[in-house]
Amino acid sequence: MIQLVDLNIGYRVKGNDKSILKGINATFHSGELIGLAGNNGSGKSTLLKTLSGFLPILSGKILLNGADISQLSSSGLAQLMSVVLTDKIAGFNLTVFDVVASGRIPYLNAIGNLSDEDVRIVNESLNSIGIQELSDMLFDELSDGQKQKVLIAKSLAQQTPVILMDEPTAFLDYESRVNLFKLLKQLVQEQNKLILISSHEIDILFRNANKVFYTYPNGNYKFDFPASIREELKL
Amino acid sequence: MGKSPLIHVLVLLIITTLLAWVNLFYGNITLSLNNISEGSNQIIFYDIRLPKTLTAILAGGGLAISGLLMQTLFRNPLAGPYVLGVSSGASLSVAIVLMLFGGVTNYFVGKSLISVAAIAGSLLVMMFVLMISKRNRSNITVLLVGIMFSQILGAVQGVIEYVSNPVSLKSFIVWGMGSVSNTTINDIGILLPVVVIVFVLTLFLSKSLNALLLNEAYAQNLGININQLRLKIIIITAVLTGIITAFCGPIAFVGLSVPIASRLFFKSTHQFHQLAFCFLLGAITLLFCDTICQLISNEYLLPINTMTTIIGSPVVIYLLFKSKTIS
Repeated sequence: MIQLVDLNIGYRVKGNDKSILKGINATFHSGELIGLAGNNGSGKSTLLKTLSGFLPILSGKILLNGADISQLSSSGLAQLMSVVLTDKIAGFNLTVFDVVASGRIPYLNAIGNLSDEDVRIVNESLNSIGIQELSDMLFDELSDGQKQKVLIAKSLAQQTPVILMDEPTAFLDYESRVNLFKLLKQLVQEQNKLILISSHEIDILFRNANKVFYTYPNGNYKFDFPASIREELKL
Repeated sequence: MGKSPLIHVLVLLIITTLLAWVNLFYGNITLSLNNISEGSNQIIFYDIRLPKTLTAILAGGGLAISGLLMQTLFRNPLAGPYVLGVSSGASLSVAIVLMLFGGVTNYFVGKSLISVAAIAGSLLVMMFVLMISKRNRSNITVLLVGIMFSQILGAVQGVIEYVSNPVSLKSFIVWGMGSVSNTTINDIGILLPVVVIVFVLTLFLSKSLNALLLNEAYAQNLGININQLRLKIIIITAVLTGIITAFCGPIAFVGLSVPIASRLFFKSTHQFHQLAFCFLLGAITLLFCDTICQLISNEYLLPINTMTTIIGSPVVIYLLFKSKTIS
């Protein structure tokens, strides 16, 4: 469960706070698929980046299962929250197995050798996404849809109750998008994960999300069921 | 370590040992275990060959580690201590020290001064290149800046050489050619512990380096403190490049081509394995180059950079043609 308490998010440039969204109060529960939608620059990516610790909290609090995330150690946070980002990862001969196995890093010692148990978890993650046959392939040689699945498998191997996904549909064709959401709903229902996903694909997002966090260009937001936001936006 | 990486390491260790053996015993004078304590053989073995062989192993291994770390940090398969100007930073500092303190006769003070200066010079260049790479993410730009930077440093060095006295000029020019044969057994007393300790410490960064292979954002989400890791990598590469350059002069291509070759030969991406492969492959490369120089030249020893360049540049050219993702 994630609680946002009077949260103020934005950027801190040379000590000056540039706030994008203020006074956010919302609670996201386990077993929910939360959609983040809104115009470019209205704060949905900023919210994801703040949640994942890439941006500082300007003021207010983020509570993860009741604990203030600014008080958590970086390895502690790594065991609670995983991310699927739009940034490219490439090169260095990484195989699909390597990328998924990186999800085990928060649980390993400094040398980073995988135990048999870690290998089992990696294979299980590959299996549950249905990409075990890609295991030995080079990550670079996959299609965008396959890459997306590998990164989700990495999140599963990280065994975090919360998964944050920034624009995962951006490079996908229609069929892959539909399959992606099918997969995410399954993870939410079967593994009781909390998944926050930002997307410009309003239609498919509203159809699949349990609740939607919608940001307006004027610095307001609305957090409600998809149907009520749809009504208000006259979609 | 899994089964196949362990076998690779064993094979590399055997090759290193064989090459070290050839390097120690064969050359214009052939030695054997039975006669190394006889007369002038003793001097050749203990004062010339042994320090040279150990230097080749330590310098080759150390430069390869330095290159591997730079390639990971800059996410650029063409990064290396020589191309990014880090070796030039060390060279210039050494030139300045030799010019200012060339008269220092105390062995320990002299060597310490040169080592510290070389490390400081490497550190400054590393920080500068990292700063540039943060502003401009293009791999080619970072490489060009590194190359321009080594040109500038080289020019400044030229000015210093021009105004310095003939004696220190000669010692500096000889040093600048790069060589593993100018070290004494006392130098090994400094070089060996520094390289070994830094290498062992680097092994404990394996997990963090694995995370960094994905990219910085993912590494951070996996619980890695990126700023700390970056600082550690800069210090390690500066210490290795600096101290090796202080004792051997700038050595070309080993730091760049060995990690590339290692990734081509050995598929494991676990950095613990790659660090071990790179160290041994670096040692093998420099031992091989030095052995060739030693075997084909009778009166004068060929400068080792001729060999490292002849062997190293084709590797780089091969990669340029093979890889589509360098820029």
